Amino acid sequence: MNIKKYVAYRLISSFFVLFGLSLLIFSLSRLVPGDPARLALGPMAPQWAVDKLRAQLHLDEPVYIQYIYWVTNVFRGDLGQSLVTRRGVFNDIFEFFPATFELVIFSVILSTSLAIILGVTSGKYANSLWDNIVRVTSYVGIAIPSFVWAIMSVFIFGYLLRWFPTLGRLSSGVVMPTKVTGLLLVDSLIAGRLGVFRDAFYHMILPGTSLVISRLAQEARITRASVVENLHKDYIMAARSFGIPERTITLKYLLKPSLIPTVAIMGMDIAGSMGGSFIVETIFNWPGLGRYGMSAMLSNDINAIVGVVMLIGVFFAFMNILVDLITAYLDPRIMMKLRGG
Amino acid sequence: MYAGIIAIIVIAAAGYWLMQPAQEPEPAPVPSEPIVYRSTWAWPTRIDPAVGSDGSSTAAHPNLYNSLVRITPEGVVGPELAESWTTSNEGMTYTFTLRQGVMSHAGNEITAEDVVFSMDRLLGMGEGLAYLFLPYIDEVTAVDTYTVQFDLLKSFGPILTVMPNFFVLDKDVVMENIAEGEYGDLGDYGKEWLMTHDAGTGPYKVKEFLLEEKLVMEKYEDYWGETLDVEGFKFVENAPDIMEMIGTTEPITVRTMMSRMELERTDSWQPIENLEEMVQTEGVEMIGEVGTSLLNLMMHTNKAPTDDVHFRRAMVYAFDYETVVTDIFPHTTLVKGVVNEVLPGYTPDLEPFRRDLDKAMEELEQSVYYDQLDEIEIEIHWCAEVPAEERISLLFMDNMADLGISVKIVKEPWLSMIETMADPELSPNVVVVYNSVHFPEAGGDLMRYHSESAPTWEQNEWLLDETLDQMIEDALGTVDQAERFEKYGEIQEYIYDVCPTIYVLQTTTLRCVQDYVDYPYVEYGEQVSGFVYKVPLGFRTYYGLYTGVNQP
Repeated sequence: MNIKKYVAYRLISSFFVLFGLSLLIFSLSRLVPGDPARLALGPMAPQWAVDKLRAQLHLDEPVYIQYIYWVTNVFRGDLGQSLVTRRGVFNDIFEFFPATFELVIFSVILSTSLAIILGVTSGKYANSLWDNIVRVTSYVGIAIPSFVWAIMSVFIFGYLLRWFPTLGRLSSGVVMPTKVTGLLLVDSLIAGRLGVFRDAFYHMILPGTSLVISRLAQEARITRASVVENLHKDYIMAARSFGIPERTITLKYLLKPSLIPTVAIMGMDIAGSMGGSFIVETIFNWPGLGRYGMSAMLSNDINAIVGVVMLIGVFFAFMNILVDLITAYLDPRIMMKLRGG
Repeated sequence: MYAGIIAIIVIAAAGYWLMQPAQEPEPAPVPSEPIVYRSTWAWPTRIDPAVGSDGSSTAAHPNLYNSLVRITPEGVVGPELAESWTTSNEGMTYTFTLRQGVMSHAGNEITAEDVVFSMDRLLGMGEGLAYLFLPYIDEVTAVDTYTVQFDLLKSFGPILTVMPNFFVLDKDVVMENIAEGEYGDLGDYGKEWLMTHDAGTGPYKVKEFLLEEKLVMEKYEDYWGETLDVEGFKFVENAPDIMEMIGTTEPITVRTMMSRMELERTDSWQPIENLEEMVQTEGVEMIGEVGTSLLNLMMHTNKAPTDDVHFRRAMVYAFDYETVVTDIFPHTTLVKGVVNEVLPGYTPDLEPFRRDLDKAMEELEQSVYYDQLDEIEIEIHWCAEVPAEERISLLFMDNMADLGISVKIVKEPWLSMIETMADPELSPNVVVVYNSVHFPEAGGDLMRYHSESAPTWEQNEWLLDETLDQMIEDALGTVDQAERFEKYGEIQEYIYDVCPTIYVLQTTTLRCVQDYVDYPYVEYGEQVSGFVYKVPLGFRTYYGLYTGVNQP
């Protein structure tokens, strides 16, 4: 099997996974108590209006018929109408996705770079004071969920120290740059508005770091364990005996194989951040997919719930494939297998 | 080595630059130092007046749109877009004469055609507050450019009190923005566009609506109140230039914003502990607005043992109301009848229910269930999303234990609760629910006892009483206000005797505010006690009346 065939195989199997996910989440969303149409229109809305909305949403049909309607519409690019925003769910996702994606990218860059630095230095100098500090703080990081970090960071850096903004993506009164990608950092640069870029970055620090900490701690620990394991392998000893400089050994021979388990975890962490930022986005009033998903769940906005979960599912599937490819790149044995060697 | 040092210096310099607040002069769409008024709200806000009906939506509507009439700060019906009106045909026809020269934000003059279109749209969509008009409005016609006639299906006494909930849209603007939808030639009736834009005439217009984040409104300088020089509709000095409604109620975020003076008024959902912390900040004070809602324990009158009036009365007399308003919900007030005392039409003639164990035992002994107390268990459901209701349920359990009645407490998510309360078989004996009034009159509360409300969360009592239905319909159909209020009084006495509800408290909405902003409550309200102000009924959130200075 070559790489192209492997990717095609994974894409097809992902399709089945997503099909299963859609069946599950679609059925669950329809089983939640409460009539979504009645909830959307209020207790006093006339019955004809509720019936009309129910018919529009096909809620008056059996669940499997509803699913067939939904799947047919999905292939037309229509995820249905949100009962909260009264707009197409696809439009909503298109609007809210960039805010979350930007936050996730920011936290990925931060966590990846720091996790590698901390993990490698800690593993390289195992059982040193530095290693002990990293290990203990990692435990703390892993044990505390991201929303607690969010509340603590708002309290410390927003309330007590007043260093960073705690609300939204831009300061009050700052005009949004023209939307090109929806990513404020990118759009502000395209518009040549460095002040807005700086303000957007400034707003991203607290929510971004809140998402990073527990993930960073986990990834640093795994990298450390992997470094410690590889450090005593024969090829490293051989490299040392050849007199290869220690820096080259670390960066060239030790880092690459040590990153394989870390990459797998990072991939899942990144995908998890898409769906795991619900509470962090709520705390920082970050207008992203997480906050949208949270509103949808609280309002029994069935189409939005399904749309958000499916998007996260697609992201997970994509990250799985990407992680496999990166792992293959890092591990020649896997690459050889893929190439039929 | 050197490369590393240079990299660190570059990163540190970039970091320092990034940490500086954005001070770059932006292309300023507003004056350099606008007066900004920021408040937090429970989200989502639906600014389409034919869709939104919750707190934040109805706060936005009167700022973006105008009604034909309004409830004045003095609590009476007064003119707004309509200069005058007449009633004829025994209260079945209302004719409004519109003010001439009222221009919308798009620059179009508002005429009778816009009023007809707006009401047709509201009734045709059937959403939001349409339920207030649907049973009564037959037809709305434009008599001429500035005269519009409302013909009713049946007489509805409080029609003018309800009318401020009907907002007029600029028809041309809506029609320019319709998308494909379910209303035939009218497409989606402009619903999607109006979720983020306005087609109004109000003192403010939408500047920016960031869904799931905030609504930004800006002062409309050509507001008709100013251009037509109409008293009561002009901006006061230092009225905000920019109004931000921010969609968060997160306690730590709100507290941080207040302490940094990034927020002028908090939402009404802050826990009391957070409010008490916030007032420790210099310049922050707490205000209370006496609300029209009641917190009720609704008793199922068609399910044993709460189907027995003596059993219900025993529970009503056993409940400890004082503890609720002093310990559980401080700053709220005791109910003095069966509706909120601030509502016009409230009767003060009923002796308020208070804890009296002797009376409770007397009633219990008359109950058919008195001999079966050992076998009886009352089920009380409270809403999982409102943790304070658990304390009410625990108090109820404790109080009922004094009578030898055992109680089972059930925590239930709101969505599930709605489902449960829609079925008389599944509805529990007692449910803890907040009830709001539909319009500022006693009838706006009493109408929830009509049989039509029984399958909704508004009425767990399941009264299904034809006599009461008749009385409610008769009262609501009475045009003469004095006569109508008299009938409201009779309904209250009737309900008092049936005793279907434990009226726990009258709500008081608590918020924190910055002291550099003056609020209309102080100007128009009556100070009741301490920081509590009595808000005139029907008074709406007109930001144009807020006076203040930009944050220091």
